Amino acid sequence: MCPAPAKRKTDIGAPHYDKFLPPIIKRNYGNWRHHELPRPGVVVHVAESGDKLYSVRAGSPRLLSIETLRLFAAIADEFSDGYLRFTSRNNVEFLLADPAKVDPLIARLKQEGYPVGGTGASITNIVHTQGWVHCNSAASDASGVVKSVMDELLPYFESMTLPARLRIAFACCLNMCGAVHCSDISILGMHRRPPKINHATLAKNCEIPTTIASCPTGAVRPATVDGKPSLEIIEEQCVLCGNCCAVCPSMSLNDPGDGISIWVGGKVSNARREPMFSKLAIPYLPNNPPRWPEVVSAVKNLVEVYAAHARRFERMGEWIERIGWPRFFKLTGIEFTKHHIDDFRHAGESFKRSVHLRRPPA
Amino acid sequence: MTEKKPTPLLDNLEAGPWPSFVKELKKSAKSPMVQDLLGVLERSYEDKMGHWKHGGLVGVRGYGGGVIGRYNELAREFPDAAEFHTVRINQPAGWFYTSDVIRTLCDIWERHGSGLTNFHGATGDIIFLGARTSEIEAVFGELIEAGFDLGGSGSCLRTPSCCCGMARCEWACYDTMALTYDLTQTFQDELHRPSFPYKFKIKSSGCPNDCVAAIARADLSIIGTWRDDIQVDRTAVTQYAAGGQIDIAADVVARCPAGCMTWDGRSIGIDNESCVRCMHCINAMPKALAPGKDRGATVLVGGKATILGGALLSSVLVPFLRMEPPYDDLKELIRAIWDLWGDHGKNRERVGEFIQRIGLGNFLEQIGLDPQPEMVAQPRTNPYISYEPKEGRP
Amino acid sequence: MGSMTVEQVAEAMYALVKECHGKRNLRATDLTKAMIDKIGAESCDKQMCKEAIRLLVDGGRCTYAYLGGSYIVLPPETC
Repeated sequence: MCPAPAKRKTDIGAPHYDKFLPPIIKRNYGNWRHHELPRPGVVVHVAESGDKLYSVRAGSPRLLSIETLRLFAAIADEFSDGYLRFTSRNNVEFLLADPAKVDPLIARLKQEGYPVGGTGASITNIVHTQGWVHCNSAASDASGVVKSVMDELLPYFESMTLPARLRIAFACCLNMCGAVHCSDISILGMHRRPPKINHATLAKNCEIPTTIASCPTGAVRPATVDGKPSLEIIEEQCVLCGNCCAVCPSMSLNDPGDGISIWVGGKVSNARREPMFSKLAIPYLPNNPPRWPEVVSAVKNLVEVYAAHARRFERMGEWIERIGWPRFFKLTGIEFTKHHIDDFRHAGESFKRSVHLRRPPA
Repeated sequence: MTEKKPTPLLDNLEAGPWPSFVKELKKSAKSPMVQDLLGVLERSYEDKMGHWKHGGLVGVRGYGGGVIGRYNELAREFPDAAEFHTVRINQPAGWFYTSDVIRTLCDIWERHGSGLTNFHGATGDIIFLGARTSEIEAVFGELIEAGFDLGGSGSCLRTPSCCCGMARCEWACYDTMALTYDLTQTFQDELHRPSFPYKFKIKSSGCPNDCVAAIARADLSIIGTWRDDIQVDRTAVTQYAAGGQIDIAADVVARCPAGCMTWDGRSIGIDNESCVRCMHCINAMPKALAPGKDRGATVLVGGKATILGGALLSSVLVPFLRMEPPYDDLKELIRAIWDLWGDHGKNRERVGEFIQRIGLGNFLEQIGLDPQPEMVAQPRTNPYISYEPKEGRP
Repeated sequence: MGSMTVEQVAEAMYALVKECHGKRNLRATDLTKAMIDKIGAESCDKQMCKEAIRLLVDGGRCTYAYLGGSYIVLPPETC
């Protein structure tokens, strides 16, 4: 028996944010009057007191080395009295009270390779997951796809010329660690084959009843393999959710045939239309590292068709609702297939149950 | 010493204008852990598959959350990336930092880990990516000394997160950062010691624009709103009309989802009884319009992504709650939800799925809330009503 | 509360974790329900069980494990 460990400091929680707020924010906390977007990547917040706070936003790859964090810290020291923050979409923001430093800061960020933008009617940073860099259930790499897509879409990050903001999110499997289910464009890693089972280790690694109970469709059944207790999958019942793999490390969905699906028209904001889920646009594109050209061109096509046809303030989903799904598929040139028709629970809710059809096909 | 292996596929991603994660990896590659991580990732790019395993016993003593075990199945080939655990750290509310505290965090992580981070993870935590089991206690000890603690994982509460609220935004209908800090400190035990059927996330947005996606990503979504009339600055409206940057009739009035606005070319009219508080007109004319002064939040419950029973958006639980410290009503509600879900939730069943299984009506009854028409888009259309036995008697 | 102390609940809990070791993983909620069933609601409640779990884990006699959910298990043999 081990000796009882010594008592120690725990449960202190987060540091109080007050320690990290610039004086201009402390002075005007809760007393902001309005804001302006004078140019891409710069937001000016005007306080009731007349004070003006300049936030300069730059893109980051989310996966940051401590070298880069130290660079951000040094840039903050030089331009924003050491104050910086990160946005919910992994951009870095420098918080300036002195407008004279805005231009030099932007020049410095660009020189260091960090583009400035992501404000207003733009495409800001892609929220994404860990992918092959670090995740057990990833059906694709997150960082590589995001980098490839953003390299192509950079002009939309650095401008504010779209009809409305356009939010792109990437998740490397159906767990969706990120709001991909409610994004204008969602890029989602897909497994396509039922789990593979390591029968040699399963009995040691996994609780068989828990694993059976984890399946939403009853596709996981007990089996005896080579005299050892194990599991089997009824393939036609499996929906590839990966829940069994989460509770049993001896099962894995990872396969070279994994790939990517594209979803459109979701949003979380309540502005105008209520929040809505993203809907399937493209059921499968191959994993084609290092640059995923099929995914990049599919996303670019969606952005360009949306930019050309949507009206001002119309998010992707609002635009599609106005023109109708048949026209969306026609304009984007995406093929409508059997996979686009829901066949899971409550599937019927998405069937067309009226004759409100915009110019039916011949 | 780990031998440096060529990574031609990854090298391709150093080029191009968007900041490169491969450059980040290489900046940290003086760590043998990251050198081997590059090797593992290059292999994934070659064979188009991930090579990570999860789970296990890894963590700091006394906590069941905060460290996520990650093991590499190519450990024989890449031994320095064999263990590459994630450490989740409570972010300061609103994600504000000073350069000094960033450097403190970097120094700790340089001493004890790979040097790779996420600012921030999907839940909102600071993420240290790549710790060996043997270093976990040391990282934790130094973090605590620096004033930071671990976030949640497994069947724990996740670190609550929020938008920057009143720190910078004129639309914040309550102090999201104060609430988030308070909840984080109040629920340390639930954050660190897993006691739930599954994860539980709390996200707070200051207004219906919901910049932290609370409605989609949180089990409990606290979204700022107001009860009285939209504030109108008539002079500023006139300036917008004259400025030509916005067509008030087409871009504002015609886009109002409630159809509650009028514009006669000179003055704007709002039927505030019909307004659904969507924020569109305020977003479009931030100098002229503002949320009302009688402010608070709508509390919604049950949001989550696909796994397991399909994605859910949170739905209204309390139409309007004033958000003032010490937030007793909110905390009482949260505890009542945890109590019920803790007793009856199945393994890995999120609270939204639990509510679908037992019925929202039953859920409300159990946590002591009265049903209100604001909680539904419409009343039921099917007649399968479960009358109580006592209701069935003549 | 009745005659049971947190220490006594912790002992009963530890015995259950030991008995289930290698057969069934127990969650905090499983342990809590089992203790209240065994000891009786008049002598044991959720708060006591919470404190008992903390006593076991902080004392190093049990530890948390993650397997698609969080469980309370015996620690590995090494100190």
